[in-house]
Amino acid sequence: MTHSSNLQRVVITGLSVVSPLGNTIVDLTKNVFAGISGIKRLDTPFVDQMDCKIAAQAQFKPEDHFTKHTYSMLDRTSQIALHTSIEAIKDANLTIDDNLKPRMGIYLGTGMGGAQSVEDGYIRLFKDGASRLKPFTVLMGMNNAAASAIALEHQLTGPNQTFSTACSSSAVAIGEASRLIRHGYADVMLAGGTEALLTFGSMKAWEALRTLAEEDANDIGASCKPFSADRTGLVLGEGAAMLVLESYEHATKRGAKIYAEIAGYGAANDCNHITQPSVDGQSATMQAALNDAGLSANTIQYINAHGTGTKLNDVTETNSIKKVFGSHAYELSVSSTKSMHGHLMGAAGALEAVITTLAVCSNKLPPTINLVHPDPECDLDYVPNVSKILPKLEYAMSNSFAFGGTGASLILKKLN
Amino acid sequence: MTINDKKTPSIDEVSHALAKMIADKMEIDIATIKPESNLQELGLDSLDTFDIIFSAEDYFKIKVPNDQVNITTLYDVAILVHQLILTQKS
Repeated sequence: MTHSSNLQRVVITGLSVVSPLGNTIVDLTKNVFAGISGIKRLDTPFVDQMDCKIAAQAQFKPEDHFTKHTYSMLDRTSQIALHTSIEAIKDANLTIDDNLKPRMGIYLGTGMGGAQSVEDGYIRLFKDGASRLKPFTVLMGMNNAAASAIALEHQLTGPNQTFSTACSSSAVAIGEASRLIRHGYADVMLAGGTEALLTFGSMKAWEALRTLAEEDANDIGASCKPFSADRTGLVLGEGAAMLVLESYEHATKRGAKIYAEIAGYGAANDCNHITQPSVDGQSATMQAALNDAGLSANTIQYINAHGTGTKLNDVTETNSIKKVFGSHAYELSVSSTKSMHGHLMGAAGALEAVITTLAVCSNKLPPTINLVHPDPECDLDYVPNVSKILPKLEYAMSNSFAFGGTGASLILKKLN
Repeated sequence: MTINDKKTPSIDEVSHALAKMIADKMEIDIATIKPESNLQELGLDSLDTFDIIFSAEDYFKIKVPNDQVNITTLYDVAILVHQLILTQKS
């Protein structure tokens, strides 16, 4: 399907993050293009009980932003999401009046929702032997808690949905929100993702999957090495990222600044295996986004890869890119910013969409850091270690693939 | 928070402990909370009230039956909690 006159163009007019690379767009931009790593020694009381003692944590104190009454009823997942929603709306310079409220909604992605709140409940019941749980346990743990808090805060009476497709959750949320606007069901949407699963139970569960990176002996910050021959796995991260999506008409009418256009979104399911990705599944996802945008493959100049840093993903994604883009795969650039901000799971797609938007805006490609030993099976340009200027960067793609199989690709376009 | 003396608290002591919990939760001055204060007017909704009862259960080592939450004022909670302290003290 291509754009036609009765479909709305969808543009990005606001951005906000709480991330391992900073909690403002200014800090994120500075760090991600400078190749700074947000991966550090895990700072939690349970670190000694972990085999994996590294993570990409976000520095966020709820008391700096909310009253105790507000934050004590919200899991960390919701706190950071709510904060990014407020900041994204500010960044968009958007006034939500009574006319806009029913035409504006929130689509959010999260993998594990209020993981800490659920875990706190289990500790109380099973470890402490209590007979009762906090009355807010359900409301803090449920996956749609963050989106609900956001809709309540801003009084958004338009569509409010939460997508949970593991690591592609927020890419799906952004893509589906863009379709709502494109087809006229909303004028403005908050779209993004949130994840705060650096809890004892969640991290132990991830350890058991044996996909986590080994700590780099010389430099903890260099532990995630996507596309490098010595890569050993992914590093868990936490954070939230929010975009304000708006119809081009609505944005221009109010004189909003526009970061970029969402030109296409594709989703496909990889039915290969619960965890193992396949070239068929990943390439079908990217092709679906190209078809949605009505673009030929050779228009894409940069891909923000899923690039987890696992042996299997990175070579599969490389081969999938080659399948979709043919010889053009060797002309475009690919990078994995997870090398710096870790894997934010349900928030990964949104953070990477924000970074891809910043790339399109600045004609600059963020690097894949820690790419010191090239893997012969990963032979594309991965923007190794230092960012790269790409004049006239017009089209970029952001990939998200997931355990369970749901893949999502977004195509961002510079607005001329 | 747990009560650490063996003496049964008076209703005024119960009321004061509850006022402290409310002041802490709602971030309001404890001096503004009177026994006759209407909880809704203090800013507590029904969930906040359940949360205070939950805190009181932990603090006073009691169990408030699920059906006994018909409450308007701080004093209503204090009476309920005080009675349960007396009857559930073993």
